[in-house]
Amino acid sequence: MKPLFTLALSLAVVGSAFGGTLKINGSTTVNLPVAEAAEILRAEQKMDIQVDTQGGSSGGISMLGDGQVQVGMISKRLSDDDRKKYPQVAFKETHIGEDAVALIVSKDVWDNGVHTLTKVQAKDIYEGKVTNWKELGGAKSQRIAFFNKEPGRGTWEVFVHWLYGSPKAAPQVSFPEVGGNEETRNKVASTRGALSQLSSSWADGKRVFALALVGNDGKPVEPTEANIATHQYPMSRPLFVLTNGEPAGEAKTLVEFLLGERGQELVKKHGYLPLKALKQ
Amino acid sequence: MTRAFSWLLSLGALAALALLLGVFAWQSGPVWQHEGAGYVTGGKWFFRQHEFGALPMICGSVVVALVALIMAAPLGLGAAVFIAEYLPRRSRLAVKMLVELLAGVPSVVYGLLGILLLRDWVYETFERFDPLSGDTLLTAGILLAVMVLPTVVTLADDALRAVPATQRRAARALGLTRAEAIWSVCLPQARRGIGAALLLSLGRALGETIAVFLVVGRQDNNLPVQLLGAGQTLTSKLGGSETNIAYGDPLHWGAMMGLGLLLLLLTGAVTLLGSLKGRRDA
Repeated sequence: MKPLFTLALSLAVVGSAFGGTLKINGSTTVNLPVAEAAEILRAEQKMDIQVDTQGGSSGGISMLGDGQVQVGMISKRLSDDDRKKYPQVAFKETHIGEDAVALIVSKDVWDNGVHTLTKVQAKDIYEGKVTNWKELGGAKSQRIAFFNKEPGRGTWEVFVHWLYGSPKAAPQVSFPEVGGNEETRNKVASTRGALSQLSSSWADGKRVFALALVGNDGKPVEPTEANIATHQYPMSRPLFVLTNGEPAGEAKTLVEFLLGERGQELVKKHGYLPLKALKQ
Repeated sequence: MTRAFSWLLSLGALAALALLLGVFAWQSGPVWQHEGAGYVTGGKWFFRQHEFGALPMICGSVVVALVALIMAAPLGLGAAVFIAEYLPRRSRLAVKMLVELLAGVPSVVYGLLGILLLRDWVYETFERFDPLSGDTLLTAGILLAVMVLPTVVTLADDALRAVPATQRRAARALGLTRAEAIWSVCLPQARRGIGAALLLSLGRALGETIAVFLVVGRQDNNLPVQLLGAGQTLTSKLGGSETNIAYGDPLHWGAMMGLGLLLLLLTGAVTLLGSLKGRRDA
């Protein structure tokens, strides 16, 4: 027993000293293609990769800033505040695809006739001024059960960025909070009158439905691929992997794979827009 | 030699605990300076405005744990009486083993079961009280009740078995029925041990994180006035992504660490009380 234990211990020490494992953490949105890429690299190149989604985008930034992981995944642009928190880290964003944040509702809301939302209406809900779907075009009275994405999630930042210009300008509110994408989708699907923010690729149109957003010209814009690519949909957002300085070593292998043909295929497979679909 | 060694180790354990408390107290320093006692009594937590009041979370933790205990205590005691007093020895050991196995199920499993079964059940069953969703303090309380039930059962069973058999025989010789003997001899004698069982379970309920996190709704600034509303506990706050945002801002970080300190003190006090109570009994 004892020699085995000693062996395990020394292996662990050696492993951590030479950084044999490529550790990745961050957004559940970016996780989908990255985790699958990691799977392939593990099988084909015998790379040792760990992918985790603790704390969403802000978790990715803080763990990279702290040196606990070599690659972060974020579903929003890095803000100046993020950079200021870690002055010694040279964050390098690598754009791997594009996604949109959708406002999703449960089936009963959709069936009640609410299919669009204006910016003002979204603000009113967020600030608690409107609490019934009837005031927003619903045929019958129905309470709004709003699940707010946790602050710190990329999805939430994109949402308040649209409404208020920056996370700092957003009023502090207290709604029940949801974390990862699976949790958000399941809770919205199983709650009457539910609304939340979610990556549009997760809105399946069967259990949860993405609302069209009405722009200043009064035309509703759905989060379709075309509208995201042309940035007509207001809450489109870039997906990044994040490294400290230019990606090197195994991180570089991963980043190159994601930017390569097969990696971009994975981005597309999970419902996001690959780079070449974007109109610059 | 052995004695010196055991002293040394005990001191080591004590030092580790002191160090732990010290680190949390030191890290949470800024928030105590900023808020003072208002940190514990304040009802508003708005981190971007640098306003930190932990009262709703403290109350949330206590309420959820109490709901769990109120539900688990009668069930658990009943089961313990049955196991300790009515089952023959061999099946008693088998049942006890099964119960202890239940106590070892990882809490995330309970949490997922909670999402799968309990959320919707609470949502539908209490529909006429019009809960906004299935994530409520009550859901978390019921889930915790299921989780601490094995602890209540096995500890209360131990307490009952610690009552000497001669006492039971004496009671029966005086003409008491079996039920009467249990009610007026065994239970009163095991009272301290049972109290300890309940307190230790309360400690476990207070400290439980992931299962509560999944079903409590995580709504800030809600004093838990109604059980069918969403709420926030100390643990569900600490389990969320706010810890990542707090990092790098000494005051906000201090506020999060302060929650850790409060949780440590709360569970520590309850568990210590439970252990002391149990010790004096033996």
